[in-house]
Amino acid sequence: MTEQVVEINNLIVRYGRSVAVDNVTLNIDRGVVYALLGRNGAGKSSLIRCLLGQRQADGGTIRLFGDDAWKRRAALMQRVGVVTEEADAPPEMSVAGLARFCRSLYARWDQPAFEARMRAFGVPLTSRFGTLSKGQKKQVSLALALAMSPDLIILDDPTLGLDVVARKSLFEEVIGELADRGITVFITTHDLAGVETFADRVGVLKKGRLVLDEDAEALKSRFRRIRFTAQQVALEAGGLVAAAGVRNWGNGAEAIVSNYDDIAFERFRTTSGMNAAEIAPMSLEEIFVAVSGENAGGMQ
Amino acid sequence: MFVINPSDPAPIWRQIEEGVRRLIALGALRPGAAVPSMRDLARDLRVNPNTVARAYTRLIEGGVLTVKRGEGTYVADSPAQPKKSERHEALRDGATRYASTAIAVGAEIDDAVDELQSAYERVVREHRRIS
Repeated sequence: MTEQVVEINNLIVRYGRSVAVDNVTLNIDRGVVYALLGRNGAGKSSLIRCLLGQRQADGGTIRLFGDDAWKRRAALMQRVGVVTEEADAPPEMSVAGLARFCRSLYARWDQPAFEARMRAFGVPLTSRFGTLSKGQKKQVSLALALAMSPDLIILDDPTLGLDVVARKSLFEEVIGELADRGITVFITTHDLAGVETFADRVGVLKKGRLVLDEDAEALKSRFRRIRFTAQQVALEAGGLVAAAGVRNWGNGAEAIVSNYDDIAFERFRTTSGMNAAEIAPMSLEEIFVAVSGENAGGMQ
Repeated sequence: MFVINPSDPAPIWRQIEEGVRRLIALGALRPGAAVPSMRDLARDLRVNPNTVARAYTRLIEGGVLTVKRGEGTYVADSPAQPKKSERHEALRDGATRYASTAIAVGAEIDDAVDELQSAYERVVREHRRIS
């Protein structure tokens, strides 16, 4: 049975005259890992504030587990774990004290799981929050978010400022939780390589608009960087679409094609009589750059 | 066990499926041996548990792995080999990719074949050393 955990319909967020989120519609099924990508200022944080019931939408609706994210925010936040960009807590409070405080707020608090994670991360329960490193603060923040046994976890650039080891352990915890409890994950990040292997679905926000919302595997299968040995390239011959324009590359040309498949390419090859020097798959990061760059073109 | 290459055009579930089959073919995973739980493998490879589940499901349906209820997942006592047509298709896919690379770097066919042969031998050797 698929249950929609997040339903965003025609969401609009405005700050004065500027539109931060422009008519975004996006749904996330239960158990899905959704990665929302976008450059700084694309509207990710505004969207998350609405998801968390911290801001009312200027237009459209957001439902979490079928309930209105704004009107029912107090009850909904029992089921939503959050790790924000800047992990924040009173600096004088100990880790154990923070856990005691959260425990009093959340009905499904799992204290043994919290303590086990702190042991795994090597953060003593007696440490004061203010004395922890940035990475440790994130680890505490993640352990607190997971200990409330959430059905949905929202990670807002969770690996920002973390070293490779800390990033890896953070993702491993999330993956373990996914496997154990089948939670739903909503993540925004600039660490595209980090989420590349475990995002089910990818969305790209550009200037407030959702310009891409697609299954990660399908996305990667249709994007290719193709290098040609000549400069005049008529991609239309095979019905191929260049995502970011064809540019000269050495004596040849390079195109990023957004609707690659072997048959379309074969059609192009026989019609144009042109061979490709190289057809390379693209990483999520390369696709993101092609889609959200200034001169990005056709998206279909 | 093996690594996942996100820039490989093969989907991750297929890389996992191939990885397990390779370990079995090379004797690193013997018939009846326990394979890692989906959870542990997902964490180790840092991939989505659903992706591991998809690969394991295919391997179970293909008769390569078996599930013992409440115990875990094991290599079948006589793991099934891929069908002839599947093997042919997999080889052709991989060969096309390799040939594209070889042409792109301007390698002659003889050099490409030599390189393939030594890569085959190297992979076998490395697995032997680990197991």
